[in-house]
Amino acid sequence: MSEENTEKKETVQLKEIITPSNKEVIIVAEQVDGIIQNVTFELLGAGRLLADKLGGKLACFLLGNNFTDQGAQLIAKGADKVYVADHVELKDYRALPFKKVIVDWISNFNPPPHIMLMGSTTSGRDLAPRIASYFQTGLTADCTELDIGPYEHVNKMDPDKLGYYPGCLYAIRPSFGESLKARILGPWKNPQMATARPGVMIPLEYDANRKGEIIPVPVNLSAKELQVEIIEIVREINQTVNLGEAEVIVAGGFGVGTAEGFQLIRELAACFENSAVGASRKVVDLGWIPYQHQIGQTGKTVRSKVYIACGISGAIQHRVGMDKSNLIIAINKDPDAPIFKFANQGIVGDVSVVLPEMIKQLKAGKKSSPELALV
Amino acid sequence: MDGAPTNNQVNNSIKNIFVLVKQVPDWSVKAGINPDGTIDRAKAKRMMNPFDKFALQAALHTKEKFGGKVSVISMGPPAAEEVLLEAIEHGADDAWLLSDRRLAASDTLATSYALYKTVQYLQPFDLIFCGLQTTDGDTAQVGPSLAERLDIPQISYCEDFKIEDGKLVARRVIEGGYQWVRSQLPALITIANSYHHLEYKTIRGAKLVQDLLRQPEEKSKLVKVVNLDEIKADPILCGLKGSPTIVARTDKVSEIGGNCKIHQGHSADQMVYEITQQTNILEFVK
Ligand SMILES: Cc1cc2nc3c(=O)[nH]c(=O)nc-3n(C[C@H](O)[C@H](O)[C@H](O)COP(=O)(O)OP(=O)(O)OC[C@H]3O[C@@H](n4cnc5c(N)ncnc54)[C@H](O)[C@@H]3O)c2cc1C
Ligand SMILES: Nc1ncnc2c1ncn2[C@@H]1O[C@H](COP(=O)(O)O)[C@@H](O)[C@H]1O
Repeated sequence: MSEENTEKKETVQLKEIITPSNKEVIIVAEQVDGIIQNVTFELLGAGRLLADKLGGKLACFLLGNNFTDQGAQLIAKGADKVYVADHVELKDYRALPFKKVIVDWISNFNPPPHIMLMGSTTSGRDLAPRIASYFQTGLTADCTELDIGPYEHVNKMDPDKLGYYPGCLYAIRPSFGESLKARILGPWKNPQMATARPGVMIPLEYDANRKGEIIPVPVNLSAKELQVEIIEIVREINQTVNLGEAEVIVAGGFGVGTAEGFQLIRELAACFENSAVGASRKVVDLGWIPYQHQIGQTGKTVRSKVYIACGISGAIQHRVGMDKSNLIIAINKDPDAPIFKFANQGIVGDVSVVLPEMIKQLKAGKKSSPELALV
Repeated sequence: MDGAPTNNQVNNSIKNIFVLVKQVPDWSVKAGINPDGTIDRAKAKRMMNPFDKFALQAALHTKEKFGGKVSVISMGPPAAEEVLLEAIEHGADDAWLLSDRRLAASDTLATSYALYKTVQYLQPFDLIFCGLQTTDGDTAQVGPSLAERLDIPQISYCEDFKIEDGKLVARRVIEGGYQWVRSQLPALITIANSYHHLEYKTIRGAKLVQDLLRQPEEKSKLVKVVNLDEIKADPILCGLKGSPTIVARTDKVSEIGGNCKIHQGHSADQMVYEITQQTNILEFVK
């Protein structure tokens, strides 16, 4: 591949092309019951760097109902401008009305904004493709890094795109089951769009002295945008399971085998001073353990000192909720399970055999290490 | 039709159900993976995208409960016929493969355009089912993008649904819980992996496919292959040309978290002992 590239570079005279844009970076905020979600602050942190590199403004698009000081919060966390759409039909996220308000507003921009970013959450991943499809622009999913830089397009198969493009959005994401990182870009059309994985980008410090502008956005909705209604929203997080505070989390997955099997998980957790029981979504869905124990993208995010994953495969949606833990110990009978790619210590074995042994040794405790025949 | 509704009110009956399935490389087979971690497509085994199996099951459930005909649609090389036949074995009624060299290197925008033209060519429809995401593209963008082109609502991350009073009532995953929504039809649904697993092949379907494999002519009546000209798609909007994004570079990631210390092949007591010695886990014990 590299050989091909150098050959082409010699023969092609690359013209510098700047696709018209107003250099603005827009973040679409996410709020639940008026509370701005962390992913938005993270995106503002990442967006600030991009806007500064481009020499443009950082704007945040906030949609919802009955806002009070949310706009000011977004400014304190890095935004230069906040576009606020406040309307009763925007109270809870829905794709059609949110899309309509955003594209109506952005269509007024001439030239268009340079970049538009959203969280790669169940709402961001629902909304972003609709907006990108509407503007016929590129969208990269689930990025873990974002940057600005130049790009030379030398591929003659696609002559219309040839050129040297400064100031492209580098949307960097894991691909092929996390073992490769792909840099995806599309400088031919603005806004260049991406969704970014929650919990990865770094938010700025809250700075009440930061100055910014709050700009109200008109809301024009018709029956067409309102053809999906929300009947009920159930958010089940409650405080009964203290996953956030626990130093040690012992989590069980489908490999635990049965609801009764969770007894072993509880027993192991009970060996520790300050511990809690966690679970994968699959076992929560199976009803082996209540939702409050679920860890992952649609459950809780934890950063415990020790995380013991028992019979959990390590799917990305589970991983994002726990991989910031200090010490990850995985027990899985499949040596190829993805969890072994990011755990610190792994035991390849059956949980029904390994857990009783672990409980026994931990109960024996610090004082006496068991006499073992080291074979 | 064997899936005709029995006691349902007329307004709940569904006529045409589309389900979009993609053939993806089967990563569990290591033969298809180059040393640098990229996919060797020639050697890789292929399979139906796992999420699309949930989508297919959702389509089959819909037919079972509300009637209608299930048409499976795929865009891909001729080999993608395999997943279409597999869908027929499970009970789908017919299948369409959009196959054209000009589709190579399509990103999600170009893919959704091509699928949009295919759906337009085949319409009318009441419901379109997609998988939430693919294991190779892994974007979850094609479904919502397609819904936008078709100008219909989408319910993404869906894990349960029914048809009630002529409307779709669906449960979708959200952070920290779920929501129930009600939508007009037609609509597009992307199915999460918390939906029901794909059930066994039907005896009738398996037999049918067995027969089809012996009679290429009959097969081409049930699995119809179309190209861009037939569906009246503009080649400029497809493939490399129609894709606003490109993969500019790939880097190998050192396994994140890095070097897992694996304990394997010893007795459980030995392996647990090693862990207690090599980590600070005992500090947290009561
Ligand atoms: C939108 C969405 C959101 C999601 N959110 C979450 C989330 O928040 N949290 C979450 O966890 N998942 C989530 N998921 C689901 C996720 O994709 C996986 O399906 C889930 O994490 C798998 O759970 P598991 O590892 O317990 O089960 P499996 O994938 O079935 O893995 C079981 C593992 O146990 C091993 N095993 C089997 N028997 C034994 C034994 N006797 N001893 C030792 N090991 C054994 C197997 O080798 C396997 O690796 C989400 C999915 C979607 C689509
Ligand atoms: N080439 C294709 N043929 C048929 N369906 C597809 C294709 N690509 C994507 N899809 C559908 O879109 C869903 C999401 O794909 P993706 O956006 O690639 O993650 C898949 O689960 C399929 O239902």
